[in-house]
Amino acid sequence: MNLDALTEDAVTGRSDAAGEPSWLRDRRLAAFKRYLDQAWPDSRADEFWRSTPFDRRFDVVRDVVAELPEVGVEVPGTVTASLDASTSLVRIVDGVVLDAVVPAALVEQGVIVTDLATAVVEHPELIESVLGSLTTSDPEGTGGDEDRTITANDAAWTGGAFVYVPPEVEVEAPIGIHVHVTRPGAHLPRVLAVIGHHAKASIYLEHTSVEGVDALVDEVVEVVAHDAATVHLASLQSWSDQIQHLGLHKIQAHRDTTIRTLAVTTGGATVRLRPETDLVGPGADVRPLGIYFADDGQWFDLQPYVRHIAPHASSDVLFKGALQGRSRTVFRGNIFVHKDAVGTSTDENNRSLILTKGARADATPFLEIECSDITAGHGSATGQIDARHLFYLESRGIRREDALRLIVFGFFREVLRELDLPGIEEASLAAIEARVEQADLSAVQVNDAALRDEVNA
Amino acid sequence: MADLEIRDLTVEADGTEILRGVTLDLDKGKTIALMGPNGSGKSTLAYAIAGHPAYDVTGGTITWQGKELNDLTPDERARLGVFLAMQYPVEVPGVSLTNFLRTALNAVSENDVPIREFMTRLRGEMKELGVNESFLQRSVNEGFSGGEKKRFEILQAALLRPQLAVLDETDSGLDVDALKTVAEGVNRLEGPDLGVLIITHYTRILRYIKPDEVHVMFEGRIVASGGPELADELEDKGYENIAGLKATV
Ligand SMILES: Nc1ncnc2c1ncn2[C@@H]1O[C@H](COP(=O)(O)OP(=O)(O)OP(=O)(O)O)[C@@H](O)[C@H]1O
Ligand SMILES: [Mg+2]
Repeated sequence: MNLDALTEDAVTGRSDAAGEPSWLRDRRLAAFKRYLDQAWPDSRADEFWRSTPFDRRFDVVRDVVAELPEVGVEVPGTVTASLDASTSLVRIVDGVVLDAVVPAALVEQGVIVTDLATAVVEHPELIESVLGSLTTSDPEGTGGDEDRTITANDAAWTGGAFVYVPPEVEVEAPIGIHVHVTRPGAHLPRVLAVIGHHAKASIYLEHTSVEGVDALVDEVVEVVAHDAATVHLASLQSWSDQIQHLGLHKIQAHRDTTIRTLAVTTGGATVRLRPETDLVGPGADVRPLGIYFADDGQWFDLQPYVRHIAPHASSDVLFKGALQGRSRTVFRGNIFVHKDAVGTSTDENNRSLILTKGARADATPFLEIECSDITAGHGSATGQIDARHLFYLESRGIRREDALRLIVFGFFREVLRELDLPGIEEASLAAIEARVEQADLSAVQVNDAALRDEVNA
Repeated sequence: MADLEIRDLTVEADGTEILRGVTLDLDKGKTIALMGPNGSGKSTLAYAIAGHPAYDVTGGTITWQGKELNDLTPDERARLGVFLAMQYPVEVPGVSLTNFLRTALNAVSENDVPIREFMTRLRGEMKELGVNESFLQRSVNEGFSGGEKKRFEILQAALLRPQLAVLDETDSGLDVDALKTVAEGVNRLEGPDLGVLIITHYTRILRYIKPDEVHVMFEGRIVASGGPELADELEDKGYENIAGLKATV
């Protein structure tokens, strides 16, 4: 089955072979029909694709991978598993769920962390009404109009995880979902998480791949957070050099929910990430955060999207990225405020730090506001290391390399300190450190203009 | 030969000559005060000693313990014991104060100070200077009030133990109580191994930190030099009488 040429037979054949219930088979088929009607994104025509040339950065002519790695293949460790806590973990390797671990104490409370394929059979009542509801039109008007990168996953996803936290259950330890790639081809992982009212969960989505593997990962994550739930979603893009990653991480936030998301992107050849939140209940609060470090040859396109559909919800987007070498980053933040979403409060910011010549950062914070009774702000800035900061640290005896490292870490810590997710700050800084280590610090450009501002201030 | 010897120093910033031939000596164990009106070039001298990249030394020399500083980077100077408490310390966003201080201490002491020993020392110094422990969680100067920044500069000096401390307007922004605490902090540091160059507008800090000599800068030159009594004279007569002072040089 080739991603570029899905067939009805292939889609239904796989569904039948897996013994999927008919509603799921039908759903895949409906998605397949949409897929047939669509073409791959055209960066000249599609506004959301304008900043990244789809045909140059993504190769879709690839076989869909759904085959366990050979016996003995080693799966790298995860942040989730490294924690000194009773974490749950689903491991998806090459389109197949390798295993799922959940502590007995959580099982007793009704928490489910498992293979999505198993869950559709065992818990259809929890899944049928939500799977795909955030990627296809529904009466609430939140999904819909998804392009072929998403309908392809809707039709042909393989290797899925399901997380369910019952109402009022607070899961303290992170729930990990690890997507690992060892085989070339197209990987179509799928995640569905349903967090009950007044429940609490932190989900760590970890992405890794073996060195040298050339693969496309077309991923869809749907999270439904019911009333007053607290959900933290951290996604770590720790890919090796040749991975192309398309990720839609979409959260539906109901009344009075507290949502925190963090996307940490340091790996991959091309990563196009859409951390999206639909605020469908009043009083919902979302803080989408992102940090990224792009090195030579990498292209990251980050498109956080917040839709204010219900009144009195708030959102505050902050993405910060550093670039070195010939790298490219795109920030296209979108805020939509529905005409009925009175009392909305929203802010959206992007900061880029250009470390060396040749890197380019584009930023377009985009607001689409239909309602006047709101407060909204947005901003973006691109700059270099500030010579005043560097001088201050150096004047205390700190060597230039160390000073630069402290400043770069500081730039990201401003984002990381907004969250208290065990292991994430360390893992993120370690991933960034690995990039900084490779940097030619003598080539770092320093903004001396800041020195003059100081005097004139 | 004095420990710090500044000879005929001329300094430019942004193409404008600011220091026009400054000569000054300072020995370890001594404290000298540099006074002068706004814009006379006091901070420029301080920055030139520390190696600030915006200030170009166009002539003359700065020698510290026999070493010409002009060819050295700011961090090299700091590792030779030079410390500048800045007039306007910058906020360095996100850089953890604790991490910054530890990196700095390891750098100047050329030694990896164990974390526990470091924290004990840091807590001790913070207590002496009346800096709240909650500052350990903060970023360098970020959101600090003017007075807190000044205190933090002296805290750094106390931790890093320099041999030359240039204190640029450390007293400004401090209320009387804070001024006393900070001055006591400086006094504790003083001794045969430390030379202090204290830059100030006003004489009030000189009530707590007694200078051995006072120098007055005007338009990029030292125009008057004397003992502590010169500071009192300035207090009485003000800088308007700079011309008169000039005549007495
Ligand atoms: N980087 C710079 N570029 C251009 N001009 C500068 C720069 N730094 C200082 N100057 C100018 O040089 C002169 C001396 O400045 P300096 O800051 O050294 O004075 P100061 O004696 O410390 O004053 P104050 O008492 O206000 O602190 C001023 O006219 C100032 O505007
Ligand atoms: Mg000054």
